[in-house]
Amino acid sequence: MNILIPAAVLAGIGFVLGYLIFLVDKYFHVEEDPHIDEVLELLPRYNCGACGYPGCKEMAISLLAKETKPEQCNPLKKEAEEVLRKYLDEYFATKC
Amino acid sequence: MSNLISLAFAAFIVENIILTQFLGICPFLGVSKKRSSALGMGLAVVFVIILSSTITWVLYQYVLVTLNIEYLRTIIFILVIAALVQMVEIFLKKVSPALYKALGIYLPLITTNCAVLGVAIININNGYNFIEMLVYSTFISLGFLFVMYIFSMIREKLDFSPVPKAFKGTPIALVVAAILAMIFARFGGII
Repeated sequence: MNILIPAAVLAGIGFVLGYLIFLVDKYFHVEEDPHIDEVLELLPRYNCGACGYPGCKEMAISLLAKETKPEQCNPLKKEAEEVLRKYLDEYFATKC
Repeated sequence: MSNLISLAFAAFIVENIILTQFLGICPFLGVSKKRSSALGMGLAVVFVIILSSTITWVLYQYVLVTLNIEYLRTIIFILVIAALVQMVEIFLKKVSPALYKALGIYLPLITTNCAVLGVAIININNGYNFIEMLVYSTFISLGFLFVMYIFSMIREKLDFSPVPKAFKGTPIALVVAAILAMIFARFGGII
């Protein structure tokens, strides 16, 4: 029976904090370009910083702004790079 | 009252979180290249430390002690800190996108900043009451901000100094950090 108290406390605190994050996200939500998340999906998401940006998200933003190239990403596999290149070509083609 | 002043002074200088307790070294070296981002990181840490130590102290004294489950403190403190940092991140993204961008990956890394968890646990271990806890965590985080700011100013100057090629960048920064730590260690005799 004793095990239930800590479990309930932990679950309760977790639930309250989760709900608070939800509320904060709801009231302070920032609309972002949905393409950023799609490019982020295609990157390795190690946040290794080998590309010179602090994280994969910044790399994705500058990829979409044509400020950098997919080769800059060191841990990206060959096949994945092809997919990313294709996605970016399509993006730039529809944008112009 | 004099007790609180000496506690504040001790937290700010003598027991400085970076230079004598060696907590929070990651942002100390990572975000101190520019004064503006050091200031932003310092302020974010001040905010997170004060808020998280208040919440963890209240949770510990009124929930964990009452229910006799003090052994859960580490995991609950980590939970509270992680959730708080997440909220600060969402909030900053909306309110100050420039600061959000300058802090970059280091903002989510406050979650794993040992200074934040360290202060929460020191507050409990030293048996502070509410006022003492508030004073201690305010001044220890201001000490963090202070040292970050001094260090970033020195690093900005270092960029223009004739440093031997092998020492350029992080090595010379570590040497400077060691000298600063030695200076702060001398304050140990005051209190």
